[in-house]
This record gives sequence, C-alpha cells and structure tokens, in this order.
Amino acid sequence: MKFVAITSCPTGIAHTYMAAEALDMAAKEMGIEIKVETQGSVGAENQLTEAEIREARVVIIAADTNVSKERFAGKTILEVGVKDAIKDAKGLIQKAIDMKIEDKNTAKNVSNVEEEKKVERKGVYKHLMTGVSYMIPFVAAGGILIALSFAFGIYAFKVDGSIAAALKDVGGAAMGLMYPILAGFIAFSIADRPGLVPGVVGGMLASTVGAGFLGAMAAGFLAGYTILLLKKTIKLPKSLQGLMPVIILPVLSTLVVGLVMMYVIGKPVSALTVAMSKYLTNLSGANAGFLGIILGLMMAFDMGGPFNKAAYTFGVSTLALAPSSAIMAAVMAAGMTPPLGIALATVIAKKKFTAEERESGKSAWALGLAFITEGAIPFAAADPLKIIPSTMTGAAVAGALSMIFKSAIVAPHGGIFLLFIPHAVINLGGYIVAIVAGTIVTGIMVSVLKKDVVVK
Amino acid sequence: MNITELLNVNLIKLELNSKTKEDVIKEMVNLLDEDGKLLDKDKYTKAVTDREKEFSTGIGMGIAIPHGKSSGVKEAALVFGRSTEGIDYQSMDDELAHIFFLIAVPEESSNEHLKILSQISRKLMHKELRESLMNASSPEEIITLLQQ
Repeated sequence: MKFVAITSCPTGIAHTYMAAEALDMAAKEMGIEIKVETQGSVGAENQLTEAEIREARVVIIAADTNVSKERFAGKTILEVGVKDAIKDAKGLIQKAIDMKIEDKNTAKNVSNVEEEKKVERKGVYKHLMTGVSYMIPFVAAGGILIALSFAFGIYAFKVDGSIAAALKDVGGAAMGLMYPILAGFIAFSIADRPGLVPGVVGGMLASTVGAGFLGAMAAGFLAGYTILLLKKTIKLPKSLQGLMPVIILPVLSTLVVGLVMMYVIGKPVSALTVAMSKYLTNLSGANAGFLGIILGLMMAFDMGGPFNKAAYTFGVSTLALAPSSAIMAAVMAAGMTPPLGIALATVIAKKKFTAEERESGKSAWALGLAFITEGAIPFAAADPLKIIPSTMTGAAVAGALSMIFKSAIVAPHGGIFLLFIPHAVINLGGYIVAIVAGTIVTGIMVSVLKKDVVVK
Repeated sequence: MNITELLNVNLIKLELNSKTKEDVIKEMVNLLDEDGKLLDKDKYTKAVTDREKEFSTGIGMGIAIPHGKSSGVKEAALVFGRSTEGIDYQSMDDELAHIFFLIAVPEESSNEHLKILSQISRKLMHKELRESLMNASSPEEIITLLQQ
C-alpha cells in the first residue's frame, strides 16, 4: 500500500521536518510505503511526482499552512495539523489505511488527460458566468434608467438639471460599470481577490479604448491568469510576502493588463474603427439593401465594440448632413433587434435558458425597445458562438429591410419613444416591419441554436 | 553538513537554571546574545514567543524546539539546553521537557543553514539520539552526537 504526504508549518524550520521524519519512521515500522514532501522555509523538498500521487491510496496533508491541493484533484485527502503527525504518526497512517476511498476517484484517475481538458473548459465557462451574472443587474439598472429618460421626450436629457438629464447620467454611470464589473469578476473567479484590481481596471480600459464587451472579456481572463502567473513566478522571502497582496500583485498585474489593453488591444481596435468608418463612407452610394446588411452585421457583432461604434458613428454623421437619415434608421433598427430577439427567444424556448436568464430576458425587452443594444450582452457573453451569429443575422435583416423600405429617422437614439413622435420616423409602418422581422429572425435562430439548459 | 557553523560550546548549557517556560526561553536567548548572534534581542525574543503562542513547540518526547525567524538575528544559530529535572513547557504530550533546542534564523538565511536545522529536526524524532543527548556529559559530546 502506497501513500504520499505533505508536511508544512508556519515557520518551516522544525515541525515540517519532524512531522516528515515521524511519518517516515512510522511507515517503516508498519511496513508500508510513503513519500513525504516537505514544504518548509527551503521550499518544497522531496517533491511528489504525478505518478506517485496517482499510485497513492490517500494523500496525507499534515500542515498548519495552506497547502495547495490542485495536484490532488480526485484523490482522497486526509488533512490534519502538523503536530498530529509528530504526536502520533502511526495513528495517522492507520487512519489513512482505514479511510474509505470515494469511488469517484478511482474511475477518474484512469483517463486523466481527457478529464483534465474537460475540467479546464468547465473552469473557463464558470469564470465567464461569474462575470456575466455580476454584470446583469448593472445592465438592467443602467439601461432601464436611460430608457426612462427618453420617456420624458427624445431630447429631454439635453436640458441641464432636468430629471431626464439626471436619469440619463445615473443610467449611464451604471451602464459604464458594466465592462469593469464583467472583467473584474471574471478575474475574481479565476484568481480570487487579487484578480479584482487588474480585472476592473482592464474592463474600464476596454471601454475607454472602445474594445467593447469582447475586449472586457479578454481583459478579465488576462487579469485572472496574470495574477496566477505572477503568484507562481514571484518568490519572495517570507518577510516580504506581506507586500504581495497589497503592493506587488496589484501594481504588476494592473501594469501588465493595462499595457496590453492600451497597446495590444487598444491600438488595433482604434485602427479598426477608423478603417471601418472609411469603408462605410465609401459604401454610401452602394445598394441600399446591401448597406443595410453591412450596418446590421456590424451593429450586432460586438454590441458596443469597434464595429458597432463605427456603424453607429457613421449613422450619426449622416444625420448631420440631412434632417432625417435612412442610414441612422437602419443602424437603430439593427441595434434594437439583438436584445429584442433574445428576449423573444427566452419566451418561445424557455428550456434553453436558466431561470436567471429568463428574468434577464424581461429587461432585455425594455432595453431593446429603447435601442440599448447592450441588453443583449449578458447573453452574448455567456454563449457567444450561438448568440452572436443569431443577433447578427436578425440585425442584418432589420437593417436591410429598413433601408429597402426607405425608412428614415430624425434622432440618433430613442428607440420606441421615437416611434411615438409624429414625423420623427419616415415610413413608420415599414420601419416597424423591419424591426419585428429582425427580432423574429434572431429569436428563432437563438431558439434553434442554443442547447437545452442541463439541469444539475 | 557541518553543525559547528551553527552550534559551538558557548551555545550549549548542560544544566539549565530556569524552572518555567518563559525563563528557559530568556536563558537561552541570553546565550545567543552573549555569543554575538543577535542584532536585536527583544525583537528575536518576540518572534520566539509569538511562535509559541501559535502552539507550543514542546513537541513531546521530552523535547522542545522554540524557534524564531527575525531580522533581530545576525546569523543562524542553535542553542542546546538541558534540564535533568524537567520543565513544564506545555508540551503536546503534557510531559515535562528535558531537551531544548533554541533555533535562531535571520530573515535572509542561507539554504545551507536551513537544511542543517531541518536535518536536526528530523534526527530528534529518533529515540536513540534523544537518549544519547540526555546522557552526554560534555558540550563537545553533544556536538559530536548532532554532527553524526
């Protein structure tokens, strides 16, 4: 019968080694095999190999420090204080011999490579969902407050000191926190508390460099794994270890994440935005339906990222040239259908959404109607490969139809509130058809593509 | 391994005067101080007593190994003390402690020294060594025993 053990004590000078020796001696006497790794002030000695861990019946951890258990996934672990090993090593080993092995372990250990991969994917998904679930209420609070401000009139927020202006600012503040929260809690899920700082800052930068929610997701993962890496590589003498969480980790990780966001993500993103704008300007004279499709695809691809921004800015710029703009109308229609379509899907395909998502679907209706495309982001972030193609297709349909029907609008925002204002929308009927059609297309696509939620 | 880097005859006291846990730590810290191993006696003493508060280093079997890692230590050193009568050290097995090792380690210690200390810690788990240490009649004999 084989065993492995780890001993560790706070100072790492005496008890660690006494416990190790006690275990070695006891094992010899009892005629069993044991390998003891000591984690003392000299670092880990007599390190356990993967094979040894695999072959061991039980992992004994005799420690008064936090011993990382990552290596022992799936193993039965017997955890005691370091003094328990010194005091009665034989008793401890006997306990490990008598211990029942949970049978999940034996099966799992065999096909380790594939198992590990699966666990990994689960991990990434878990981190993403943590970020998304913290973000959802921010989107709802921000979006609905902004929508409320439009209820006072389409330009009501432009009056300083008005309640509409206040609502828009408050909503904007909540909405602005969406990316930092998403990135921050993805990183938090990966690396615990130290992840929060680089994650939040990275998310903030994703929004200032215009990288949208995809940029924020990247920032979150980058931040979390940067912390893990720093923790692994920086070895400090014990006396300086107190500095790790308060100074070293926050400063270094924020520096790394910040610089990556500025240069590696920010620069290409802004170049991309410029290129997209140029491309759109050149397209101005092209076939109306085709332009509508392009605008729709762009609006719904990154919902707040460079493509979306370029399309939206292009729409706004056309409003400066004429009192009403068909391009702006297409942009708005395409920006409304992503949340609307998803909201529709949460109603027609309930099984494919969690209870939380279905609730979130209700606010997506409101956000979509108010032309707050961000309402779709929590869904898109949670399942990008299924959601984004669906929102893009629906938005392309809406954009193209809006262009073909020659609908045009007079303001660059407002959503449904604009529709109620006389003469604010040219060819109102066609416009509504365009939005409804886009919504239905997205709703059906999401319903078909998404898998049923697995009940755990 | 050369234990003389850590332990010399000045740091060995075959019959300790102290009767209490507090006094025995003081008495042994004084030996270190007199031998010039400390930079800041109070600081080191505090490290040792703080460590004791976590849980007693009286590991049973008649042995106690008070130890401290502190910037008040100049260089790694070891004190050996013995009490035939025994001292109540609040040991894990509630027995009196007879053999004391006081370990002093600076914040930045060479791995070599730490390894020596870990070796000694391991050896102390063996009954034969403990008995020999109890019976040794001179400081030199103690050093030889630990050197082996």
